[in-house]
Amino acid sequence: MLYRTNAKSLFITSALISWSLLLANVLLAAESMHRESSHALELPFVNNFLIVVFIISVFGFQRMSADNLKGIDFIGYLWNIFAKGGIAAYLSVALYMVYRMVTNYSSVQSPLLLHMVYQVNFGLLVLFLAKAFYVWRQLILYHKNKFIQIAWDWYEILLFATLMLTLLNFNYSSLIFLPLLGLIGLYTLFLCTNLKWVAYLTFNKKGRSLILLMAILLACFIFADFFNDFADSPLLVIDYSDVGFLLLAMFFVALYTLAAFLVALFSLPTSSVFEQKSEDLLNFQRLSQSIQQGQSEKQVYDMLFESTVKAADASAAWLEIFRGEKKDGIELCHQLTIEEEQIKRIRHLLLAYNIQHIDYINNNLDRNPGFRDLTLPWKSLIILPIKSKKHLFGVLYLLKDIEQGFDRETVNVLRTFTNQTILTIENLRLVHESLQNERYKEELKIASLVQDSLIPKKFPSDSWFEIATHAKAAKEVGGDFYDFLQLSESRIAIIIGDVSGKGISAAFHMAQMKGIFHGLMQQDMPPSEFMKQANNALSRCLEKTSFITSALYIIDYRMKGFMFARAGHCHTLYYNSMMDDTFYFQTDGLGLGIIRDKSYNNHVREMYYDYNPTDVMVIYTDGIVEARSPTNDEYGEDRLRYMLTQTYHLEAEDIKCAIINDLEDFTGPTENIYDDQTLLVIKFKPTQPSE
Amino acid sequence: MKITNQIKDTTIIITLDGELDASSSVMLDEALSDPEIMTYSKILVDCNDLNYISSAGLGVFISHLQRFEDAQIKLIFYNMQDKVRNVFEILGLDLLMTIVSDYEEAMTIADE
Repeated sequence: MLYRTNAKSLFITSALISWSLLLANVLLAAESMHRESSHALELPFVNNFLIVVFIISVFGFQRMSADNLKGIDFIGYLWNIFAKGGIAAYLSVALYMVYRMVTNYSSVQSPLLLHMVYQVNFGLLVLFLAKAFYVWRQLILYHKNKFIQIAWDWYEILLFATLMLTLLNFNYSSLIFLPLLGLIGLYTLFLCTNLKWVAYLTFNKKGRSLILLMAILLACFIFADFFNDFADSPLLVIDYSDVGFLLLAMFFVALYTLAAFLVALFSLPTSSVFEQKSEDLLNFQRLSQSIQQGQSEKQVYDMLFESTVKAADASAAWLEIFRGEKKDGIELCHQLTIEEEQIKRIRHLLLAYNIQHIDYINNNLDRNPGFRDLTLPWKSLIILPIKSKKHLFGVLYLLKDIEQGFDRETVNVLRTFTNQTILTIENLRLVHESLQNERYKEELKIASLVQDSLIPKKFPSDSWFEIATHAKAAKEVGGDFYDFLQLSESRIAIIIGDVSGKGISAAFHMAQMKGIFHGLMQQDMPPSEFMKQANNALSRCLEKTSFITSALYIIDYRMKGFMFARAGHCHTLYYNSMMDDTFYFQTDGLGLGIIRDKSYNNHVREMYYDYNPTDVMVIYTDGIVEARSPTNDEYGEDRLRYMLTQTYHLEAEDIKCAIINDLEDFTGPTENIYDDQTLLVIKFKPTQPSE
Repeated sequence: MKITNQIKDTTIIITLDGELDASSSVMLDEALSDPEIMTYSKILVDCNDLNYISSAGLGVFISHLQRFEDAQIKLIFYNMQDKVRNVFEILGLDLLMTIVSDYEEAMTIADE
């Protein structure tokens, strides 16, 4: 930035200095010519050098300031030339007029004044050319490709090379240079065909740019005329029309301005088509981006309605949106220059023809007796249903007051609009749904946390038994549960259960069962009595197809025995160390909630068993024994029992791990288990509790 | 899961083929909820091709059990695989429902 500012001020300074020196030199020469009547200009090379320095300085400065022009505000570019360059031409005219008035009035020929005016006009010309040259460069390079960039760079180099001619005081109009000049002319012509920017102007902007271009052309003409008048004038010691570079630059600027003017003029009639297309494109973009911008369905329909009415240039239109699943949930959400009464009548007629929700185009309504009877002011109708394969979102009706109003091109655009709308609406709904799902997942996570807190993590550690637990739910929340309650110093109640079904409802019943367990066992009752009362309590709140299996154990270490009852729950696996035998307790017991009256009392049995130290009891839910292997075999009671015969000598925690590892080997690596799995391993210890 | 009905006089034979899990138990519930089923005096359930029954499947039978009993309609299961029978037994349903070994036995019980 500092470099640029420095370079700019350097250019300005060198331009000012060279111009002043030039002026001084010219005035000096004019003065001497006036006195000695000699035409020779002193120090022509110095003069030429100063001209070149001045031109390069001004062009260099403009080149740098032109880089600031960006974007597609082309009127701004043109205005830039006109305001900063074109005005120079009018100034020069004004200056010349003042000079003429002064000389006419005083009727004194003043060569010094003339030289001064000529010199000022030269400065203005260079300013104008430089400005225009570099603004046109920006426009030529709009939407550039590599080829144009290279072509332009060479053109610029070539043009500046012609300054050498001036420096070496060659006459460019000599025969040797003519073909070269011709070639440069052709080159210029080629560059002048790069007018892509004109196409981006709207009708109004084209009009404004035509005026500006005309003004710029006029400025070119003024300068050309002025310097042409003074070419080879005997009154002047210097002739800037000898500078070939200026001539070429003027040629380029004028030609490009003319080309732009003509192209803008002749593309005026077609600009509305281009405008429509680019607006369609913009509207497509807006429609497809509406999801990212978090717009609502209503806004999408607004956009659709606006865009289609504009694209079809419809004289009347309305849009119906269907809310909900019901057919009568029609909402008239947009209306354009049409009465509700008329809509009702048209709809009625369409219903009679049974074409109200299908693609339908009628480009000559008068030919149809039904429509003719409605005496509508429109002659063409198109019906565009907004529907996906599964869903009808709404119907768009467009009307035009001319026949053949909807040609194939328009219909295609309209269909593209409706298709895009369908996509957008469906995506919007998907996004909405996935957000909803996300929320449910969040809530499930909370439920899962709550449920997790319902299951005890730690059993009382005691010296007379050890216990290890494993619990894994198939879904976020499950129906398995276990719990314990210390009944007295020497007695503990342990319950395990499985609610039929999975998921939220199972989790609720599980919480209920936990409440029942804690409520009833406060009264310290035998297991069978607990089952009866629990069945009674559950009968009132469990839905018909649900039931709960459960088993309750009350272990009494003072008596060295346990009492238990089974309510439809999996058989308890047991290892008896005295007999060195593993077996399942085969007891009867009906699940809870299957029979919901007093007759349940006959279906539950209680059992008492004396345990020996190092006996092992394995309590589990059906998720363990019914776990499936990849070949769809069940894990089964036999394999579980076999595992215990292999591991009974280990500690409870290790037995549990061995069984779970074996189970995972059996099922293979699966993310989703089929059913909740719960496993409790209790090992009785030989040591007596401390006093 | 495939559920097929076969009617013999006042008996309807329901054949279950496949796995009766949470989703297929809905089909079974629909079949058993059919009001027409109350016009028969016996419902025989052929479990020969029933490979698995989930708690949801059991729940469907349990929920209709009382209704059939009240209407004095006999519900009899036969040809049950050991695996499935074990599930019934663990839950204690073998004492509530009639489970017999084959079709002939089922018919004789049904005719009593």
